[in-house]
Amino acid sequence: MIDLLSVLSILMIITSLLVFGLRNYKISIYVYSLQTFLLVATFLLLSSTHLAEQLSVWAGVAFLTKVVFIPYILLRLIKKLGVVYEDEPVAGFFVSPIIAMGFSLAIAMSIYPIYLEFSLIKESIPLIASITVFMMGIFGFILRNSAIKQILAYCMFENGIHLSLALMAYNSPEIAELGILTDAIFAVLIMSVLAQRFYKYFGSLDISKATELKG
Amino acid sequence: MDIQQLLTLLLVVPIVSSIVLWLTPANFKALSTMHILGSIASTLVAVKAVMSVVNGETLFAYDQILFLDSLGGVFLALIGVTGLLVNLYSVKYMQWEVDKGEITVKDAKLFFTLSHLFVFTMTFSVISNNIALMWVAIEATTLSSVFMVALHKGKKSTESGWKYIVICSIGLAFALYATVLLYSAGFTVINDSHSTMLWTTLMTHAKEINSDALKLIFIFALIGFGTKAGLAPTHTWLPDVHSEGPAPASAMLSGILLKCAILGLIRYYAIIGNSMVGFEYVQTIMIISGLITIFIAALFLIRQHDVKRMFAYHSIAHMGVIAFGLGVGGVLGLFAALFHALAHSVTKALAFCVTGNMVQIYGTRDMTKMGGLIKIAPITAILFGIAICSLVGVPGFAIFVSEFLMIQESINTGLIIPVILFVIGLIVIFIADFSHFNLATFGESRTKILTNKIEWSANIPLILLASLIIGFGIFSIEGWVTLLNNAVKIIIGV
Repeated sequence: MIDLLSVLSILMIITSLLVFGLRNYKISIYVYSLQTFLLVATFLLLSSTHLAEQLSVWAGVAFLTKVVFIPYILLRLIKKLGVVYEDEPVAGFFVSPIIAMGFSLAIAMSIYPIYLEFSLIKESIPLIASITVFMMGIFGFILRNSAIKQILAYCMFENGIHLSLALMAYNSPEIAELGILTDAIFAVLIMSVLAQRFYKYFGSLDISKATELKG
Repeated sequence: MDIQQLLTLLLVVPIVSSIVLWLTPANFKALSTMHILGSIASTLVAVKAVMSVVNGETLFAYDQILFLDSLGGVFLALIGVTGLLVNLYSVKYMQWEVDKGEITVKDAKLFFTLSHLFVFTMTFSVISNNIALMWVAIEATTLSSVFMVALHKGKKSTESGWKYIVICSIGLAFALYATVLLYSAGFTVINDSHSTMLWTTLMTHAKEINSDALKLIFIFALIGFGTKAGLAPTHTWLPDVHSEGPAPASAMLSGILLKCAILGLIRYYAIIGNSMVGFEYVQTIMIISGLITIFIAALFLIRQHDVKRMFAYHSIAHMGVIAFGLGVGGVLGLFAALFHALAHSVTKALAFCVTGNMVQIYGTRDMTKMGGLIKIAPITAILFGIAICSLVGVPGFAIFVSEFLMIQESINTGLIIPVILFVIGLIVIFIADFSHFNLATFGESRTKILTNKIEWSANIPLILLASLIIGFGIFSIEGWVTLLNNAVKIIIGV
């Protein structure tokens, strides 16, 4: 039988590559939404296979906030700004996602054994996926200059942490998970406001154009 | 008042002040009155709370989720004292900005509202016993202060706001991983989901938690909280953010916020130090991190002519000094690190607020265009001098005390090479600063002076900050020393 959990995890890794690599903002946001949907599906699956009832609640909250609300905010943002495509990044469209994926997988492979040792749910592939998605988010920040891509990178590493949290600490007090999610939503809202301002003053979403502050 | 009420009030008062300010109509007089009343109320509750933990008691509330120990008390004292004085100064500063047409009364209202929300998040980070909530609160400090920094409309302000939220959020993500990993490593020995999240329980069980995991956890915590605290190499957001925000925002960020991030790191430092990993591991890492930070800051300091950027690099340098103190360790080293947190807090609050006066006088932050400050505004010049003297560690000023103790303890413990490097770093900063100080203070002004009138309402909070700097530099204040000693005992697990 195909291991559904592994399939979902691998799909999450693939979607992280797509969110990172796609030029079209709208499609990137939809793929992010899809990735979060896969995360929700993973939560539901784990809640039944590992008797972790808490995760079904996590799945509901994540669906409302991250599959629906955050993509809605981002879609509204690009509509308001009227932007469609990302400008060519420094390392090119093709090279930077490959570099990011290579490093992310390498880091994930080297540290996941420590995670696995203490994880409440001892599943290797989802753990590797969680670290890879997180690192793809971090590289997204470093290698992409578009403000919207950076917001998506933030959302992506948040997904990575969320998956780690579910695997390693699903029984932690709900208040912690709620607090972390609330921070994430406010962070996206604030970044959206700043991205709008950025576009207004710089006439572009390219962060590398902001060179007023140096030294 | 029972303990639960006291700890609740610590959070409720600033949040209520924030809501009231938000609901107050955009009338500057009404806003500033509410702002001052709210700040005084928050400080009174904070002082009352700190007084109850001076002798080493630990207060718990809400099933131990909230707590206040002497270590938290040290940082709560900073929020209370520095926070109040900066808030008092901010009223006049915002008045100037509104009069100049730089901001609207609505912007000032936003600033006042957020400053109380900011105090709420910082207080929450200090009194959270639940390590995940502590992380949530520290991340929330960034979120609540973004628009205090990016208050002005324009390119520079937007750029600094963006850098602030992006770099701090990336950094803190690592701290969240540290939290998750600590929880799951702790759960295997504690076996109770509620208590495993509590810092006090993790401290008790530190010795049983897996050493390899703890080593990785400390690295993650250092990257995470270190980014927020401005430790190199992830300090790059700090000069931009501290130099672009309004002076009181920079004073709050540098004077209090950086210390709250350091407290987050100290909580991890204590757990790992008290585990089987031992203090040597964390101390070595902190010494290296501290020295690198001091040197990077010193190198950038030399060529700064923008007075706020210069002070921003100072913040980085002094966070390096605190890290060095944690690296030296031992009772005296930790005492010095905590003392330095206070000394730097009041000094940097004064320094940034003085830059507010200087910009009001010269209309520029460029020190090469200033000059003759001593003749134009003698009080501002003296306050600037006091801030500089304390920052570079002149005897008789607060920062000298902690730096001297660190050097003494390093020699006692045989850390000769690190202490030599530390002293070289401090000397570079000393020379750079006095040349800048001369440039701004003496000679003739190299630009048109906009005003030479700085109102007393702006100067009084600064004079109080200056008195604290000298007071802590000369006198050994008994209650404070007791509080620090008890805080040190908590870190070393006695």
